[in-house]
Amino acid sequence: MTAEPLPVSTPASKRTEALEERPVNLDGFVEEWPEVGMVAMDSPYDPTPSVRVSDGVIVEMDGKPRGEFDFLDQFIADHAIDVSVTERAMALEPVEVARMLVDPTVTRSEVVEVAAGLTPAALLEVVKTMNVVEMMQALQKMRARRTPANQAHSTSARDNPVQVAAEAAEASLRGFRELETTLGVVRYAPLVAIALQVGALAGTPGALTQCALEEATELELGMRGITAYAETISVYGTEPVFCDGDDTPWSKAFLASAYASRGIKMRFTSGTGSEVQMGNAEGRSMLYLEIRCILVAKGAGVQGLQNGSISCIGVPGAVPAGIRAVLAENLLASTADLECASGNDQSFSHSDMRRTARLLPQLLSGTDFVCSGYSAVPNYDNMFAGSNLDSTDYDDWNTIQRDLQVDGALRHVPEEELLAARSRAARALQAVFARLGLPTITDKEVEAATYAHGSQDLPMRDVLEDLKAAQSVMDRGITGLDVIKALEASGYSDMAHTLLSVLRHRVSGDLLHTSAILTPELETLSAVNDANDYAGPGSGYRPAGERWREMKRLRHVVSASNPEEEIG
Amino acid sequence: MAVTLPDQVELDPGSDYPLATQRPELLRTPTGKPIDELTMQAVLSGDVAAEDLRISPDTLRLQAQIAERVGRTQLARNFRRAAELTALPDDLVLSIYNSLRPNASTKQQLTDIADRLEGEYSATLCAELVREAADVYERRDVLA
Repeated sequence: MTAEPLPVSTPASKRTEALEERPVNLDGFVEEWPEVGMVAMDSPYDPTPSVRVSDGVIVEMDGKPRGEFDFLDQFIADHAIDVSVTERAMALEPVEVARMLVDPTVTRSEVVEVAAGLTPAALLEVVKTMNVVEMMQALQKMRARRTPANQAHSTSARDNPVQVAAEAAEASLRGFRELETTLGVVRYAPLVAIALQVGALAGTPGALTQCALEEATELELGMRGITAYAETISVYGTEPVFCDGDDTPWSKAFLASAYASRGIKMRFTSGTGSEVQMGNAEGRSMLYLEIRCILVAKGAGVQGLQNGSISCIGVPGAVPAGIRAVLAENLLASTADLECASGNDQSFSHSDMRRTARLLPQLLSGTDFVCSGYSAVPNYDNMFAGSNLDSTDYDDWNTIQRDLQVDGALRHVPEEELLAARSRAARALQAVFARLGLPTITDKEVEAATYAHGSQDLPMRDVLEDLKAAQSVMDRGITGLDVIKALEASGYSDMAHTLLSVLRHRVSGDLLHTSAILTPELETLSAVNDANDYAGPGSGYRPAGERWREMKRLRHVVSASNPEEEIG
Repeated sequence: MAVTLPDQVELDPGSDYPLATQRPELLRTPTGKPIDELTMQAVLSGDVAAEDLRISPDTLRLQAQIAERVGRTQLARNFRRAAELTALPDDLVLSIYNSLRPNASTKQQLTDIADRLEGEYSATLCAELVREAADVYERRDVLA
């Protein structure tokens, strides 16, 4: 019998062809596989909530007797959970706690007190009863600081310090209160960290800076006053992965105290998907493991946590309800009364629609830092492997803020102000490098950095000379004080005074409190003096007055009095 | 001159925080300078050294009090451990951190560190943390 040969593939309709072309189909999606932890928040292998207290000690948690606790269990049981309320809190049905989270008439502190008694499995059960709108409603109440803020990534594909200085100036002017850099070539760190600090001073005062590096080096730059805070202190949700990261909850708790002992603000970092990505999720859901991280941060006494999957966003992003789980992480960090720098900081999707949808829960609810790294440079320059938002998204971001009257902590800045700040940043760095005996920055570089969009627009630097100089910064023991002196001696007195003010805050320790930032007036705003007081309609933070007027400005807005004219 | 100890000051988070603006008279550098003396003039004349731009143990204990009064028990405890660590040189802090990494130390080494923290630096809270780590590491087999 002969048969017609089958076509190699079924021809697609024109509709399918059009859909195939859509960017979202370049994203990766996988089926759930709970046995290896490829499941967002609803796994049959997650433990059942339980707690038993004897003589003031938790002797059973989530079905496990104390003798079988791994080191995370023990740290959480002994340091994170409030033993005095745990049995009462655990007696509540998960949905009752979820209702407390959503109900605006229940205060934030009432929820914080109850949540402090819940075990990881119990916290998971609570958020499993909530849809994303309920989580957003809860998050706007539970974020610790009343006023939302934002954090930028200021990096360069060539680790070019002149570019980083100009970008830091622009980012602070646009409203970011924290600026983070990291390196392609790690040895460049001291020069780029100085550039970030100097550049930040040339924009709106008070933007704190950090340089993400291996823990010990990051601490050293902080101790020298070259950076102002730290964030890349990673924690993980299973014992083997924690050990692969070369840490334990105790080493991290010690590190938290080490930072505080030098007056330096610090937060931990964690996120769903890291354990499965590192190959040891012990068959637990991503969110269950992340809740363990949140409670390790709480138990360590660190003021805050960067979470929301962070660099692992592709993992929860690939499974069903993954982005719901990411929102749940942010909500639970806030509910644990921690500062939450809420992700949106990694390339996530080829689809503009999808990356916006991923952003909205944090943007609309408001968090302590909506992005824990909005790329203030084009994504090709982003040395954190790209962010969910980059410098070409500024006008979209500002428009969304204006459309919805939601404060994402950024603003439109007129071109002349941006150019002036970028130029001043590059000039000031030129002067500081000269005073400190670091390699020359030419006028041509200053000019290029002023007008650049990215590192490709700047002349190449002599990398070997720069790296030698970077080493000399460490060898000569250069500190923030040397940078202050160089700025003052070069005529950048206002910038020198600002940096001195930032460093003086170490002496007061005010920035060590939960969710602390510096205002442009260099005053501390934290969850102590700016505690979130959301209690339903008409309460809490709402953009108004001067801030709302600022949010109304965009690049192109037609004048009401003269339609021929644009105000901006 | 009578020195005010942090335990003798009653702070109200509502009116005393931020300390830098509300209670600057309580703030001193680890070298004993009042915070107001950290001026540009003093920096330029070399009267301010890197050690002056650090937090003092007393200030950390004041901030711990504020954290306790706003219900942040763990944060306060971290500040109290930090107060103890102000006395340690940077390289010792880093070396203890490295010793606490998994599979980095024997139980005896960790016990020695705890004893030194307590004996040499009166760092009892930090010593307690290190001893606790030694016990857990032994049970979970993450000692060297």
